[in-house]
This record gives sequence, structure tokens and C-alpha cells, in this order.
Amino acid sequence: MSLETVACPACDLLQEIPPLPPGGKARCPRCAETLASRPADPLDRPLALTLAAAIVFIIANTQPLMGLSAVGRQASTTILGGAYEMWVQGQDLTAMVVAFCVVIAPASYLAFMVTILLAARRAPAPSWVGELLRWAHFLKPWSMLEVMMLGVLVALVKIAELASVSPGIGMYAVGLLILLLPAIAVTFDPGEVWRRVEWAAGVAPAE
Amino acid sequence: MPESTGLDPLPQATVEPPKRARLSVIWIIPILAAVVAIGIAVQRIVTEGPTITVVFKSAEGIEAGKTFVKYKDVTIGHVTKVELADTYGNVEVTAKISKRAGGLMVEDAKFWVVEPRVTLSGISGLGTLLSGNYVGFQPGKSSTKQTRFTGLDVPPVITDQPGRRFVLKASTLGSLGIGSPIYYRQLQAGQVAAYALAADGKGIDITVFINTPYEKYVTPETRFWNASGIDVSVGAGGVNVRTEGLVALLAGGLAFDAPPFAAPAGPAAANTVFTLYSDRATAMKQPESISRVFVLHFTESLLGLSVGAPVTLLGLPAGEVTAVGLSVDPATMAFRPRVLITFFPERLLARVTARDQAAASIMTEGSDKVRLQLIRRIVEEQGLRAQLKTGNLLTGQLFVAFNYFPDAPKAKIDWTQDPLELPVVRSTIPDLEAKLTGILNKLDNLPLEAIGKELQKDLTALGQTLDSTDKLVKRADSELVDVLKTTIEETRRAIASADKMLTSTDATLVGKDAPVQQDLREALQEMVLAARSLRVLTDYLERHPESLIRGKTQEKK
Amino acid sequence: MSATVRTGVEAGLVSCETCDLLSRPARGGRPGHCPRCGSELEWRRRDSIQRTWALLVAAAICYIPANILPVLRTNTAVSSDADTIISGAIFLYTSGSWPLALIVLIASVMIPLGKLVALAYLLITVQRGSVANNRDRARLYRLVEIIGRWSMLDVFVDTFTVALVQLQPLMSVEPGPGVVFFMAVVVLTMLAVESFDPRLIWDAGKNWESRHA
Repeated sequence: MSLETVACPACDLLQEIPPLPPGGKARCPRCAETLASRPADPLDRPLALTLAAAIVFIIANTQPLMGLSAVGRQASTTILGGAYEMWVQGQDLTAMVVAFCVVIAPASYLAFMVTILLAARRAPAPSWVGELLRWAHFLKPWSMLEVMMLGVLVALVKIAELASVSPGIGMYAVGLLILLLPAIAVTFDPGEVWRRVEWAAGVAPAE
Repeated sequence: MPESTGLDPLPQATVEPPKRARLSVIWIIPILAAVVAIGIAVQRIVTEGPTITVVFKSAEGIEAGKTFVKYKDVTIGHVTKVELADTYGNVEVTAKISKRAGGLMVEDAKFWVVEPRVTLSGISGLGTLLSGNYVGFQPGKSSTKQTRFTGLDVPPVITDQPGRRFVLKASTLGSLGIGSPIYYRQLQAGQVAAYALAADGKGIDITVFINTPYEKYVTPETRFWNASGIDVSVGAGGVNVRTEGLVALLAGGLAFDAPPFAAPAGPAAANTVFTLYSDRATAMKQPESISRVFVLHFTESLLGLSVGAPVTLLGLPAGEVTAVGLSVDPATMAFRPRVLITFFPERLLARVTARDQAAASIMTEGSDKVRLQLIRRIVEEQGLRAQLKTGNLLTGQLFVAFNYFPDAPKAKIDWTQDPLELPVVRSTIPDLEAKLTGILNKLDNLPLEAIGKELQKDLTALGQTLDSTDKLVKRADSELVDVLKTTIEETRRAIASADKMLTSTDATLVGKDAPVQQDLREALQEMVLAARSLRVLTDYLERHPESLIRGKTQEKK
Repeated sequence: MSATVRTGVEAGLVSCETCDLLSRPARGGRPGHCPRCGSELEWRRRDSIQRTWALLVAAAICYIPANILPVLRTNTAVSSDADTIISGAIFLYTSGSWPLALIVLIASVMIPLGKLVALAYLLITVQRGSVANNRDRARLYRLVEIIGRWSMLDVFVDTFTVALVQLQPLMSVEPGPGVVFFMAVVVLTMLAVESFDPRLIWDAGKNWESRHA
């Protein structure tokens, strides 16, 4: 970060803003107006979001996704219930892939992220953090929760013509999840972690 | 844009170091998520009801996660697990019951599987074909909580409907079954709940349940009888047809009523035992308290005389035949027809006018000696004799008729014998067979050949006569035709009225049950219509299978 | 000012795919391991063109049964209908929900086909050493990378329809043999996208592997 020249919007004093430490603020020396700030530990924000996503993910998988009722009969299913039903119907491979894309991949991704973000707070972070980050990076495109959400909605509309369908808590949880996951991606800068990770070659990170 | 190179070094903004460990706003999100998750979990735990296990012999149509437990058509729980019990002979069904119904899980609560069931009183549980089987529930009265139950094999017929239970003793079950309807004055008042072999193996104990408000009509005097099907009896009185209605015709059933001679009484207590009679006539028969047995030795064939045939006195019913058999005459070693009759003086007494009731009551109340004297006097002085008579030409049934035969030869009666033997006279039943044989013989003896030859001669002569008669006839033709016409008219009218009579007789024969005919016809029509509409329905369903659930939607453009 | 366009490989520097660290390759044939994260360094994704072709052909082979075989079988008390992806979309259309029909058609038919065609096009142009339309081709790759996963839509629709509509004997839905093939198409194309190295687009046919071997 190089020095930036500004004029204080409050008192018009010409000044330079030096590089800020994380969480630090720059104030005008004359009138103490806040000129710039650097976000606090950039790992905190994605961590909070990841924890929230983890909790919501658990809700999404334990609560029924939607319920159906027709001619006095009722049925409901969770995400894993859907995969299980496919398994029971003989579609083993499909069931496994669905379970992977919608449960295993996101779950692993969230678990890894939580671990990474927690471990990276104290620099230097151990090198396996980097390994985890690599895995998380690989898993990300395979977690297809938003595709599943749309698929469920399409199925819902299709079935709604035959029976009365009602979304369950699981559905709302998945909806929340597909907002949180991109939020994590946006607030997370892998560079921050890489900068703190102990180099595999044994060289300490330069901060 | 001014260049910084030309100016003095600019002052630097003061850097405020970060405050220690300030929690960012972002942490609200996970905290919120955690709160919501805990809330959901707590709500689940708090609203969770008890988990029960029911052991069934078979769990037909019960699926884990899908089958419900219902009470009064309200879902009170659902099945979570279906697995074989440890003993491998049974199935353990684990169900989670809702909190509201948790209090109903007591000792004598009953569980059974509700599935389509065809019973005698109808088809039940048809809705389960669509909705899938479910576990039915009936609450118990105990207050001891329980979580492990044994499921019933058949649904208990008695739900918590008000009514009363009684026991009927019958010799056979007949066409009855669980659920057979019970009628009171042709209204369905209850149904058969259960049946079992009697303890001594000699009959059936049938448990019946009479619903409110009919149970108060069951008094200790009430008679129950089997009203299944059509009651057709053939007796000396003719053919008798009786049915309780179309349903009883098809499904079998019982009926009850108080006999006309019953004393008024209050409702019978629950579990009172009654006898099940085989038909209404038997049920309504007044028990004869007084009866006298007599012996009759006839001298002719007893074919056509059956046990129960009426015994009449001067044409009025006085008793019935109780036994028809043979006895051996010790003197001649010959077989003699022997008939035991039972005489019910009360029946005759009912026919006596009020004025003479007192005098006639000798028959019932007098001492043995007085009665014997009376009988002796009637037999000897007025010539009372027994005679076989044809009751019904159609069936050939005979009955015993007592009448006065003043010219009858004196009878030798042993007045000390018990049962007393009464004298008989020969019947006047025409012996058709003998007559026919006689006729045939006569025919045989006719000199047919000679007659034939004679006839031929006469015929030729007749021919000539006819020709002349012909001319005569033509003249009288017109007069004859009129006569003929009227004759034909009358004949036709006679036939028509005979026909009408026959049809009305037809109606009167089954007159009481003409509504049955009407019912039958209507039922048949209904069935034809139903079959037709069923065909239309299946056709439609084949083309629009989704309409099963969706219903008939308008055709979208 | 025009800066010189120099690629990392031209400058003899290899970039780590995992942590983006630019480092000098180790001595000897292979570039070695990344000093920061330890993952293996490669100039370009290994056997990119070969692998991508293989996966692409496999996906194309699966594409045919995916569309011919039925994916859903609907059993009612009176009938049993099997639907392929396309007939399912037609059914949605004729029963009035044409937006759904459109979504299904796009996600399940057009996108997979588009991916196959796009990847084939990218591979062919890279193999021919073409330099035209570099930026468009790069954009195409990014598009394929992002949209690819949305073809899984139909698999999820089928999964959850089957999971819910199990109301024997009134109506029940079971998955058909086409589902596995369809899923194979999606997975294989996703793997193909991952194995294709987009940097090849800009290499203009120069084979760097052999250069540094």
C-alpha cells in the first residue's frame, strides 16, 4: 500500500495516509475526521459467515425440505432422504453423486473453512492449513446447493399440480445457505491465508 | 492536478491503532443462526410425545416413516420403525405419538391395522386403498401408562359407541358372522360382535352388541331369532315365505322383538343370555306350559305325517304331532303305526268364549281324574275319533283331526294306560293309485277290436249323415256363429280374468315382499348403471392418469 | 503505453495452481513442488488436451442414452408412463407450465450439448494453434466453467420428485435408467472442464511441455 494523498473533507487539510494496520483508522491530525479505515482481521468475517453457514447447514439437513399431502396421505423428505430414496430405487450411483454434491462436498468445504480460518488466526499457521485450503478450493465447484434449490423448486411446482405441497424448514435453511456461501466466497481472500501459512519449504512467512 | 513533488512534504494523517478485540457486527449472523437452531431443537424436544411399540402378528401395509396412527380419523402419531421382533414370529412397530395424544397411551388402549376389509355388514376401510393402511387406535379406560402394546388381529367392532352387549346361545352359526346386522322391526339395531364355541362344545355362544337407543327394547322377555335369507317353510298350512328385507337376504342377520304374550319388563342387563331361535315363528311361539300326551295307533300309511304337524279338534288347532313311529302288537307280532300327539289345552281355551271360560278351564286346571272322565265321556258318548286328513294336496302333508263320529264303532280303550290311547277311524284319503289301476284294468278289458269294426261301419253311415247335416248346419250357421262368438268372448274374458287373478295371486303370494322385488329390480338397475360409469371412469383414467389426484381439470389450451 | 506481453512460462517462472505463488522451477525435468504450499508444480495441466478429449468423448457417448432412456417412470393405479428428459419437458409445456418446460429444456438439453460443443471447439482451436478470438474463447471457457454445474438440475428434480411422490398404489414415481447416464454426462463434462487448461488458449500452439522437458 503506497501513500495516498487526500484533502480532508472536513477541513481541507492536504495530507498523506500511511499504510494502515488491520483494524486501524486514519484520522485528520487537525480535525480528527476519519479519513480511512482498514477492515479488522480479514479472517473474522468469513469465519463468522462460515460458522453461521455450518449451523444452517445442519438445520437444512435435519429438517424436512418439504411436505406433500394428497388424498389423506402425507410425505416429507430431507435432503439425505431424497438421496436415500434414489438408493432404495436402485440408483446407487446417482444417489452417491447427489449425496456428494449436496451434502458431502458442502459439509467438507464448510468444515475445512472453519478449520482454516480458526487456525490461520495465529500466524504462522501450520502447513496443513495450506493443504486444507487446497482441498476446499477443489471442493467448492462441486457443492451444488443452489442447483439443488432450483431443482427442488421445479419439483415442487410439478408436484403442486397434483397435491398440496408445503416448504419445510429445511427449504428455508437451504435458501439461507445459498446466500451465505457466496458471501463467504466474497469476503474470503485466500491470499490472507497464504501469507500467514508456514511455507512448506520451511521458510517463515514474511508479514 | 498538483504534483506532490513541488510541495513541502505533506503532513500525515494520524493513525489510530485498532482497538483491542472489538467484536465485529458480523458475528451477529452466526449467533442468530445458533439461536434459531437451538430454538428449532428445543421446540422439537418440547413437542415430542412418547414413543410406543406395538407388537403385531403381521404389519401389512405398514411402512416406517409413512404410516400414521389415527384415532377418530385424526393423526395422533406416525410409525418410525418396522422390524421383526426378537421372537421372529411377530413384528414390532415403533411409533412416535404426538404430545397431545400422549396421555391416551394407557394399559388397555387398543391398536390394530386398518386395511380394506370385506365383512358381512359391508366393506370397511376402503379409503385405505387410497390413503394407505394406518394403525387404528381405541383408547382405554385405565390410567396406567404403558409403552408396549400387543396389536389386535382384527379391529374391535365396538368402538366407544354407546350400547349394550348380550350373549345368544345357538346350536349352529348358520350364515352369521362378525358384523352380521341385528334388526329390530326391520331397523338395524346392532351387530354380531363375536362368536365362539360354547364351553361344552354343543352350541355356539354369540356375543351381540345392540346400539343405543335400541338396547332398551331388549327386555328379559325378548326373543332373538335368525333372520338370515328367506324363511321358507312348508307345512300343512301351506307355503310360507318371509324375509327381513333385502339386506338380511344377502348378508344374513338376526332380529329381535318381544313376543305378543310377553309381560312388559324393563331393559335387560348387559350380558344377559338369550336363546337364538331358528326363525320368527319358533321364537314367537308361546311356550305351552300345559300339555298332555296321547297315543294314536293308525291302521294306514303315515307317509306325509311329519313331526310338528298340527292336531286339530273340530277344525281348531289343539296340539301337534310329536312323534311318528311304529309299535309292535304283542298279540299278533304285527307292526302298527304309532303316533304321539301333544295336546295343548291352552290353545283351545283361547278359543272358548269368555262366558264359558270357567267351565272349560277344567281342561287345564281340573284334576287328572276329572279330566279323564271328561275325555271318556266325549269319546264314548259323542264318538270323538282321530283321523288322518290331507292338509295340503300340493305337498301331500297330512295332519291329525279329531272329530265327532257318532256312527263310529265302539272303541276298546284302556283308560288306565299312560299315555292314553285314543281311538281312530280310517281316513277318507282317496287312494289315487288304486283308482288308476282300476281304470287301466277296465281299459284293458275293453273289446277294442270289435268296437273298431263297428266304428268303421258306423263311420260310413255317419259320413252320409254328415253330408245331410252339413246342409242343415249351413242354414243354422248364422245362429251358431253368434253363439260361438259369445262363447269365445266369454272364454277370452275368463282367461283374462284368470290371468289377472294369477298375477295378483303372484303378487299376493309374495305380496308382503313385493317391495323386495322392487328393491331387487332397483338394485339391479343401480348395478348396471354403476358398471357402466365404472367403465367410463377407467377409460378416462387411462387417458388422464394424473386426474386420480388432481381431479378432472379443464383442458388447458 | 504498451507493455510487453510475457507469459510466465516464457519467463521461465511457474505459477502454483493452488496458492498462486510464482516461483522458479527446480532443476531437472519437472518443475518440482511449490515452496509455499507444497503442491506439485506444473507448467500446464497434465495431458490437458488428451484428458479433455477422452472425457469429452465419454460424455458424448453417454449423452445419447441419457436422452433416449426414460428418466422417470410414473405409476398410477391404472397406468404406468415413462418419461425421457425431452418428453418430460414436453409434458410440462402441454400441461401449461411453459416456464418450467423452458428451464428443464435449457438446463438438461441445451447446456450439456453446449458444453460438449464448446469444449470440442476449444480443443480443436487450441490444437490448430489458432490465435484468433482469444478473448472470446477465454470467455467461452469461463462460461462453460460456471454454467456447467447447472445441468445437474434435472437430476435433482428427479431425485426429489421420486423422494416425495411415493403414494402407492395411487401414484408413485421411480427413477429410470436414463438418470445415471445423464448424471454421467454432467460429471464427465465438469471433469473435462477441470482438466482443460485455459492458458493453452493463449499459448497459440506452442508446446511448452517439450520445451522445458
